[in-house]
Amino acid sequence: MQIRNFSIIAHIDHGKSTLADRLLQATKAVSAREARQQLLDSMDLERERGITIKASAVTVHHAYNGEEFELNFIDTPGHVDFAYEVSRALTACEGAVLVVDSTQGVEAQTVANAYLAVANNLELIPVVNKIDLPAADPEKVAMEIESVLGIPAEECIFVSAKTGQGIAELLDRICEKLPPPRPSQMDRLRALIFDSQYDDYRGVIVYFRVFDGPGLRVGDKIRMMGTGRTYSISDLGRNTPFPQRMKQIGHAEVGWLVAAIRELGDVRVGDTITLEVNPAEEALPGYQEPKQMVFCDFYPASGTEGSDFETLREAIEKLHLNDASFTYDVQHSEALGFGFRCGFLGLLHMDIVQERLEREGDVEVVQTAPTVSYMVDLNDGSTLEIHNPADLPDMSRVLRIREPIVKIEIICPTENIGDIMKLADQRRGIFKTQRFISEGRQMLEYEIPLAEIIYDFYDKLKSITRGYGTMDYEVIEFREDSLAKVSILVNGTPVEALSLICHRSNAEYRSRIILSKLKKQIDRHQFEIPLQAAIGGKIIARETIKSMRKNVLAKCYGGDVSRKRKLLEKQKEGKKRMKQVGSVSIPQEAFMAVLDQSEE
Amino acid sequence: MTTSALPLFEPSAAPGPRGALPADRALPADVIAADGVDGAYIHVPFCRHKCHYCDFYSFVDRDDRQDAFASRLIAEIESVAPRWRRPLETIFVGGGTPTLLPPRIWQSLLPVLARRLPLAPGGEFTVEANPETVSAELAEVLADGGVTRVSLGAQSFDRRHLATLERRHDPASVERSVDVLRRAGIREVNLDLIFGIPGQRVEEWLRDLDLALALRPDHVSAYGLTYEPGTAMTMRLKLGEFTPADDEIEAAMFEATADRLAEAGFERYEISNFARRDALGARRCRHNMLYWTNRDWWAFGPSASGHVRGVRWKNVPRLGDWLACSPWSPVIDVERLDARGVSGERIMLGLRLSEGIEAIELEGLLAVGKDAPERRAAFARQVAAGLFERRGTRWALSRRGLLLANEVLAELI
Repeated sequence: MQIRNFSIIAHIDHGKSTLADRLLQATKAVSAREARQQLLDSMDLERERGITIKASAVTVHHAYNGEEFELNFIDTPGHVDFAYEVSRALTACEGAVLVVDSTQGVEAQTVANAYLAVANNLELIPVVNKIDLPAADPEKVAMEIESVLGIPAEECIFVSAKTGQGIAELLDRICEKLPPPRPSQMDRLRALIFDSQYDDYRGVIVYFRVFDGPGLRVGDKIRMMGTGRTYSISDLGRNTPFPQRMKQIGHAEVGWLVAAIRELGDVRVGDTITLEVNPAEEALPGYQEPKQMVFCDFYPASGTEGSDFETLREAIEKLHLNDASFTYDVQHSEALGFGFRCGFLGLLHMDIVQERLEREGDVEVVQTAPTVSYMVDLNDGSTLEIHNPADLPDMSRVLRIREPIVKIEIICPTENIGDIMKLADQRRGIFKTQRFISEGRQMLEYEIPLAEIIYDFYDKLKSITRGYGTMDYEVIEFREDSLAKVSILVNGTPVEALSLICHRSNAEYRSRIILSKLKKQIDRHQFEIPLQAAIGGKIIARETIKSMRKNVLAKCYGGDVSRKRKLLEKQKEGKKRMKQVGSVSIPQEAFMAVLDQSEE
Repeated sequence: MTTSALPLFEPSAAPGPRGALPADRALPADVIAADGVDGAYIHVPFCRHKCHYCDFYSFVDRDDRQDAFASRLIAEIESVAPRWRRPLETIFVGGGTPTLLPPRIWQSLLPVLARRLPLAPGGEFTVEANPETVSAELAEVLADGGVTRVSLGAQSFDRRHLATLERRHDPASVERSVDVLRRAGIREVNLDLIFGIPGQRVEEWLRDLDLALALRPDHVSAYGLTYEPGTAMTMRLKLGEFTPADDEIEAAMFEATADRLAEAGFERYEISNFARRDALGARRCRHNMLYWTNRDWWAFGPSASGHVRGVRWKNVPRLGDWLACSPWSPVIDVERLDARGVSGERIMLGLRLSEGIEAIELEGLLAVGKDAPERRAAFARQVAAGLFERRGTRWALSRRGLLLANEVLAELI
């Protein structure tokens, strides 16, 4: 039987999931009624946001030219933060269906995904989707695909995943145009792990594609070549799309295995599976450790209660079973108590984790402003990676600070180009190229510090372009710049939890925002309190909290005694919960306000 | 009977209080068993209009329940008071607006008070009044019935500021009321004033103070406007209807009040209370002194609070609930503090007074409880910061300490 392994790649909301469901229905894998729900996206959150977070694989059959084809459809995560996972999923394929919405055109992610597929030597089948919509302009979009990606416009298949138009043609094209899997290069087993999921009952479910050797059987002793761990396969199968047990998964096929693996962290996407007996000598290329680029702290929202911390810990541990690509370490902030410092692949990843914690873990979390990781080169020649400004060593020991730089691609209407360029300039962007996409749309490419886009860049892009702009980015390197640690001093005493690393050019601006927030949050004391921001010994911004002149209960009569006593006790308790910096009491809310990302 | 100079102490025929009330709504046995109290507070919840800053239990009665209130009150006094074996030092009728009750009702009430709540010689009997409710007839009824002191809610003499407070009286009615009360033979008159009203300037406040002094009151209570939770004033503040007085301005008013009243011969004896002093002494409100010195007083009427034998309580606050239970008031918020709690209360109340607390007593109060070292350290810091003043053998808040009393007390209680 012929085998075709492929992915569908698309920009968010261009109809990838609907198309996948329609393919399953057309191959009779599911009934029309079942197809009404998008089958491949299993989490609520994914469906709500219209994006796929975890990949999975489905096997269907299709007859073409009198021949039976086994089609293995490997789903890919839908967001840039999972670029590495996407690339692993693509590695498991020989081809990809590139979906573009005929009402939207080529978007930033379309470009990024297409490049990624081409870099993995995948054959592309361009599909222009949603042609049933009145606003559809498939010919124009086909021209965009040709001009941006260099795929001839006439190769595009016009499809409506909703009505089924063009689906049969697409299936035929997959069988006809996509190359068959390459033959085995050796008799020893090599299978690529392209995804893993956690199941409460069975532990980790590993998705793999067999590249070399005889395939896998139930009972096989396997070894993960990257981690060196060994397991015994207890269950093997594939999804059609409903899970189906198999005794064996053969060469070039796609499937899942269960092997009493307790934690997702024990399995690395991109790792190679081989057999314990007669193992391969060399792993499949391309394996990387996941790299966390964006960091923030999570604290229980209700504050200092120990039980809230434990609830948060449980929720994080549980979520980590399902997503091993974020990191977490216990963090103690004198201001906010116990919490976790977490690292994420990117911004959206951070948002997703926070939402899932609150939704699935039923905990309310307080999230501090995100920071990036910095490389700090010291005078003694060593390099320190830090994720927290407070960890920055004394500046006299620091030779330079390097920050992550991303290559960012922005596609937007031509009329917004000027404003987008202004925004990128403000954010220290370095202009690289500008390309024509189609009448009225352009693509801009910049190199820009990651730190400059993690706050509100995406929101600004969306508001400038009234929702039409899209962006995609990838980290390219760590680069030195004029970065400085800004210390915040309250009544002359530095407060580490409030310090930040930022570029000297906007240090004063950022400092003023922080000081004015602090001023609103710290109660007046019996003395005047100076608030200062400083780089080294130099004060760059200052505010003053005037001293309190009067705080006295006017009335305290017979009926007031208990209530007023409780009021004073509450004041006393409140003060105890505050952080004492010298003789100044700073409420937790003040820290929250400063760490909050908004610039209010 | 032969030796008793006080034939009023007849054994009560009224039913015992416990039988009538569920246990959690009844007073503790030792409170009921008290053989006397130092004072009595009677709460009259009726008002013609609810002022926006007021957080006392009061309402505009549309159901005409004043007669029911009075007879229910009489029944309770008849039932509770006969077990007391000594006369009272003070009675205070507050509200609400007690003077909203017509002379007819007062005429039925006052004889009961005189008989069941007899005052010791020289005792003080205060009634709170709203200037526009004081008629010559009522003033005479009150004076004849034994009332010695009337506290008038003047608040301000400036129509604009009265309007901000939603206080509906003609400023001229204050002078008229004082006159009527004096003529009727009321011995002491207090004027309640409020400062720190949004938009009020320091000069305006001093003018109010001067207009009040011109009426020759025996006592002035000057309150910084407080935004009590749940009042209309607080709601309006939150809605942004006005800006509260600036901290600096309020502090200036607070300071100026003490100076102006001192010049006029008044002594500040409590944070907000000033008594005229002459050859006969200072005319403090002795009833309020009971509160600040932790003495015993009984509570009559809905929402009234009492304190007897270390127990604090409050009568049910709703008139309907209160009327439905007779003769004893169902109570809520019964609180018996431990030694640590008592020490905190004593400090909170005692330091409101200019006389402060005996140094030895204060030392003892600060030594109670696990947190004694922290409280003592806080006190030492406050003394060093000039928030306290030594007056003979006593410690009292200094002028700056008075301004920051909450800051001081929060650390010591």
